[in-house]
Amino acid sequence: MRSLRIGLLLGIRQIQRASYWTTGLIIFVMTLTFLNLIAVSGILVGLIQGAENAVRESAQGDVIISARDDEDFILETPSLMRTIATYPEVTAYSVRYTGAATMEANYTERRDLSGERDTASVSVTGIDPIAEDHMTQLSELVVDGEYLDPKEEGYILIGVYFLEEYAENFGDFLDTVSNVGPGDQVRLDIGDISKEFIVKGIVESKVDEVNFTTFIPEREFRRLFSRLDRNADQIVIRTETPEQNADVVAAMEANGLTTFAKIVTFEDNLPKFLIDIKNTFNVLGTFIGSIGLVVASITIFIIIFINAVSRRRHIGILKGIGIHREAIEIAYVAQAAFYAVTGAALGTLLTYGWFVPYFDENPIQFPFSDGILAADPEGTFWRFVTLFIVTIIAGFVPAWMIVRQNTLNSILGRK
Amino acid sequence: MSALIEARNIHRKFGKGDLITHVLKGIDVTIEEGEFVAIMGKSGAGKSTLMYQLSVLDTPTEGELLVNDTDVLTLNEREATDFRLQTLGYVFQDYALVPDLSAQENVMMPLLMRGDDWQESKDTANRMLDNVGLEGKYPNLPGELSGGEQQRVAVARALAGQPKIIFADEPTANLDSISGTQIIDLLTCLHREEGQTIVMVTHEPEYAEPCDRIIYLEDGQIVQK
Ligand SMILES: Nc1ncnc2c1ncn2[C@@H]1O[C@H](COP(=O)(O)OP(=O)(O)O)[C@@H](O)[C@H]1O
Ligand SMILES: [Mg+2]
Repeated sequence: MRSLRIGLLLGIRQIQRASYWTTGLIIFVMTLTFLNLIAVSGILVGLIQGAENAVRESAQGDVIISARDDEDFILETPSLMRTIATYPEVTAYSVRYTGAATMEANYTERRDLSGERDTASVSVTGIDPIAEDHMTQLSELVVDGEYLDPKEEGYILIGVYFLEEYAENFGDFLDTVSNVGPGDQVRLDIGDISKEFIVKGIVESKVDEVNFTTFIPEREFRRLFSRLDRNADQIVIRTETPEQNADVVAAMEANGLTTFAKIVTFEDNLPKFLIDIKNTFNVLGTFIGSIGLVVASITIFIIIFINAVSRRRHIGILKGIGIHREAIEIAYVAQAAFYAVTGAALGTLLTYGWFVPYFDENPIQFPFSDGILAADPEGTFWRFVTLFIVTIIAGFVPAWMIVRQNTLNSILGRK
Repeated sequence: MSALIEARNIHRKFGKGDLITHVLKGIDVTIEEGEFVAIMGKSGAGKSTLMYQLSVLDTPTEGELLVNDTDVLTLNEREATDFRLQTLGYVFQDYALVPDLSAQENVMMPLLMRGDDWQESKDTANRMLDNVGLEGKYPNLPGELSGGEQQRVAVARALAGQPKIIFADEPTANLDSISGTQIIDLLTCLHREEGQTIVMVTHEPEYAEPCDRIIYLEDGQIVQK
């Protein structure tokens, strides 16, 4: 390619001779465009991604085991657990029992026995406090009081949505009890059985599943709910890395564990609407980012156009002495490519060197999510490619417009 | 000697309808290999226009034109470009160098386009610059050279590809008399020592002296003097 050599030589020399300020500004525009392309969809998607991460961290783990559709509970839970514990990829797990109860508070001080009782319908989760904390760091979600002590009996953790003071912000549609805090007494009623608990702590999370439940030790749960066969409702498992999830599930299936329970990865367990929202946000963000792309391509167009118009005479002379049109076009395309690549490279560097780590450290606080900047390498790569191609076209068109003009007219500056 | 340029009844008109300007009105020229020909005449006589026709930068409205035995009027744009690259060399009035390229790179342009490899082009370019007396100016940008030096770079560029014919349109017009004389001496030397065919437009009779032949142009027609 003879034209390529000449084109690159011309292009590189033009970049070298251009003013640093102009070059810097153009690259700055390209960097901003690239960041815009990444950031808008990255933050929108990151919002959902952050919510997903929170659910993964503090509620569902990486692999979720639940009762088969034709069963009420996970069968043979104790032996299943022993098998699961032997998988090397499994780093933590928690066995959970769930049930519904009515929680009553302030009944000791109640004078008027005919008046309204202070109750709330609650869900109750029976856990092994140590295993659950190992699995989800539940103890870190305690915002008032303390975490359950495995040696003690008769204590309960309550999710904030059942407490009037916390739930007020969300309107009065939540079923709550009032004036309950650590040290206070509440009573759980399950049918005819009832038991008193002392509130040990209040838990609050970005994940509603945690806010909408109460926790008691599994031993007490089984007694209270007459679940003497130890068959649990849910087992959540943490794997070493989420990439292993599908393999772990496949291995469990191969080992026949699915005869006892339903086993799914976190990813497969995500509600479809969440995935839809994520995809929609991605498209939306890319669309908004594309406006920036259009602006950038117009900028490049104008820059190359002015550049080529101001060199129209030299372009004519080059053609006059026998230089092919492509060579001259390549010179301008090379410049556009240089701006695009440098700008996008800077943008990538900023994204992964600064923005992503920054937002991972300091998530944007949304009520339901710690928003991070989601920028998966593949998406970034394709945005890089898009910016590159758009810029190349934006550089080529004006160059082509000028270069195709009549040679002699260009040399003489006519028309 | 065979004719390098054979032009018959060349007409060039510009514009349309009532606004037609008839610039060249039936020119017949033959230029032999090895000739140094000057085209002279008053300003506006059509000298440049004639030169553009002969040098395949423009297309006559009417006539026949053979350059180096090629019917150049049948060439398409790409073929004409390649023809200029392979056969012709140009020295324009105001140097016409690429401002971003060094003297050396300017001279390398046509060589690279012909497909010479990088080092080869560089060596040839340096040799050409030496020939025109610009040793040590290889890396200079056009802006860092005087007008006379720039025009010598342009001559070096025109020569680099060993063209059959060099066309020079008032190559001295923008130069002081010393630089102008240098350029003419350079062309004369080329003609005498290498037998280079040169067609030059000038309106200084003094610069036409070394030429073998002078073509006088008046109002788009050749006149005898
Ligand atoms: N593209 C054009 N359109 C109209 N008239 C032109 C064009 N090019 C040249 N002319 C006219 O042709 C005449 C000769 O021009 P030119 O060949 O440049 O003269 P010279 O080089 O002898 O001074 C001038 O009158 C000029 O105005
Ligand atoms: Mg002229």
